[in-house]
Amino acid sequence: MSEPILEIKNLSATVADKEIIKNLNLTINPGEVHALMGPNGAGKSTLSYILTGKPGYEVTGGEVMFCGKNLLAMKPDERACAGLFLSMQYPVAIPGVATNNFLKHALNAKRKYEGLPELDAAEFLKILRTEAKNLNIGADMLKREINVGFSGGEKKRMEILQMSLLKPSLAILDEADSGLDIDALKLVADGVNKLHNENNALLIITHHLDLLNHIQPDIVHIYADGHIVKSGDKSLAIELEKSGYKTFVDAE
Amino acid sequence: MSLAEQNITLWGDDIPWLAGLREKGLIAFNKSGLPTAKTEAWKYSFKAVGQTENLQIDASAHECDGHCHHQCDLPFEAYQIHFCDGKLHGEHFDLPQGVSLKPLVEAIYDGDVKPYLNKSFDTENFPFAALNTAYLEQGFMLIIERGIVVDKPIFIRYHTEHNTDTFNNIRNIIVVESRAKAEIIEFFDGDSTGNFNNVVNEIFLAADSSLRHYKLQSESALTRHISFNSVQQKSNSSYKCFVAQKECILARHESYIKLLQEGAFAEVNGIYKLNENGVSDITTNIRHLAPHTTSNQLVKGVVDGHAKGVFQGQIHIAPEAQQTEGYQLHRALLLSDSGEVDCKPELEIFADDVKCSHGATCGDLDKEQLFYMQSRGINSEDARRILIEAYLQEVLNKIDNIEVAEWIKAQF
Repeated sequence: MSEPILEIKNLSATVADKEIIKNLNLTINPGEVHALMGPNGAGKSTLSYILTGKPGYEVTGGEVMFCGKNLLAMKPDERACAGLFLSMQYPVAIPGVATNNFLKHALNAKRKYEGLPELDAAEFLKILRTEAKNLNIGADMLKREINVGFSGGEKKRMEILQMSLLKPSLAILDEADSGLDIDALKLVADGVNKLHNENNALLIITHHLDLLNHIQPDIVHIYADGHIVKSGDKSLAIELEKSGYKTFVDAE
Repeated sequence: MSLAEQNITLWGDDIPWLAGLREKGLIAFNKSGLPTAKTEAWKYSFKAVGQTENLQIDASAHECDGHCHHQCDLPFEAYQIHFCDGKLHGEHFDLPQGVSLKPLVEAIYDGDVKPYLNKSFDTENFPFAALNTAYLEQGFMLIIERGIVVDKPIFIRYHTEHNTDTFNNIRNIIVVESRAKAEIIEFFDGDSTGNFNNVVNEIFLAADSSLRHYKLQSESALTRHISFNSVQQKSNSSYKCFVAQKECILARHESYIKLLQEGAFAEVNGIYKLNENGVSDITTNIRHLAPHTTSNQLVKGVVDGHAKGVFQGQIHIAPEAQQTEGYQLHRALLLSDSGEVDCKPELEIFADDVKCSHGATCGDLDKEQLFYMQSRGINSEDARRILIEAYLQEVLNKIDNIEVAEWIKAQF
């Protein structure tokens, strides 16, 4: 069996001295799609930030291996270059930085990390246009300042565009479905499905079944109070949709 | 030798009115002396003026030995004028029909400078401009004649290489006649280690005229640079100034603008970036003296290390200046604990039907933006650089001439 992409062992973490992840274990293998479902405030986004290295979170125990490397020892940009991607619940607007310019910096950073030559403007634009077209993102949007004044749907599509350019080994989608109408949801899901293959993996953080009807999960985890309380196949998500989180959280 | 007692002979001391004017400047300077903590207009930057005892004006004739390049390699076409070590190079200038430029001494000799020279400000209120008057000699008079639209920017390079403590005293008179339009670019560069520039520009905009005034201060970090820009505007004239200041001991750009008649419009925008221990001072005084006049100011700076950024913005609205608009905003990124940013807005409003606003912010780079970029693989150093560029870009976007904006950005 090949090496896991992500291996979280007994992870505990605090934010502002409050323990928010408690002894969490999770292994994700190549080709797998995992869904992490849980009530508001369970610490799902916190987990995604700890994995990507956002400052302000303190790991108090455990370890995380990413493609055989000690993830927690890497800087956020190194984690990204090594193939970890987070589609954020609230993508950040950066006034003054044009979207296409931002994307070029990101892609070239990864190429540099991999020892590949940086792309010039023309080469980059060719790649960008192809990927953007798949997500119905026009040239106008690429010229705008990144995420500045973008609608909810535009922001989520922009996250998936970044994912499609960076081709991560593991993409964490943090509520990629929130604020999307049915058409936009399908566009995002199609984009993600197109990128998924046997060599990479997805960790989908969501409240709802909707997205999981478009992106089929192999394993569904119920996450509450800082750790996984139950794992199963997709039927678990369907059961959850019927009975709510309360059953699982109380049963613990 | 102090600045007030230079043992030099200047051209034209035998011309009574000129000698009288110089005397008046010296008296005004002796009365005020160098700025101190009590000089309101200098309260944040007087210290950076530093030692002046060893400063010497070089009153010898300009003899260019060809050590300086008289043509700058620019990515846009321009008419080029050059100062070498504080002295105007050449006597004849390649300029189009309707545009004339002559050395200040020639304009004094011809007498055509008389209606303008020292007419736009009162020496008593500005110590360095008073000193500039005391040693009037170097500089030029530029006239854009009525209705002339100059097709290319007029690029004025002030290049310094000397390594002695030299006081470069330069006075330029710029007259834009009615309906004329021009762009001037002032570029200060060179690796002089003891240079103190004291430049005064007197700018006169006639009715319906327009001047775009760009300035890039890019001298050695050991330079002291004071520039006083006194602007007088008649009806419906438009003056837009953009100033960019880099690291040096002191870079002070002062705009003193009088909107004399209805419809006059003035804008002063600027950026500064300091990394070590320099001082950048942008001081404005925009005086709305007639109804329906408008002014805008946007200045953004980046301060790191032990550096200091100063913005002082005065907007004066006279009682008769009804229906005027004056806006001002200064924003700074303070990237270190030992840096300093001082901002002093002063609004004096004596009319009741006006729109005026001022604002100031000071803070570090946005942590969410930094993390977002890092989470996309961009390292922290590059992310900071990109965010700083983006921060300043907002001001660069206000430059009408895109080629000039890109050139400034590339040099900055």
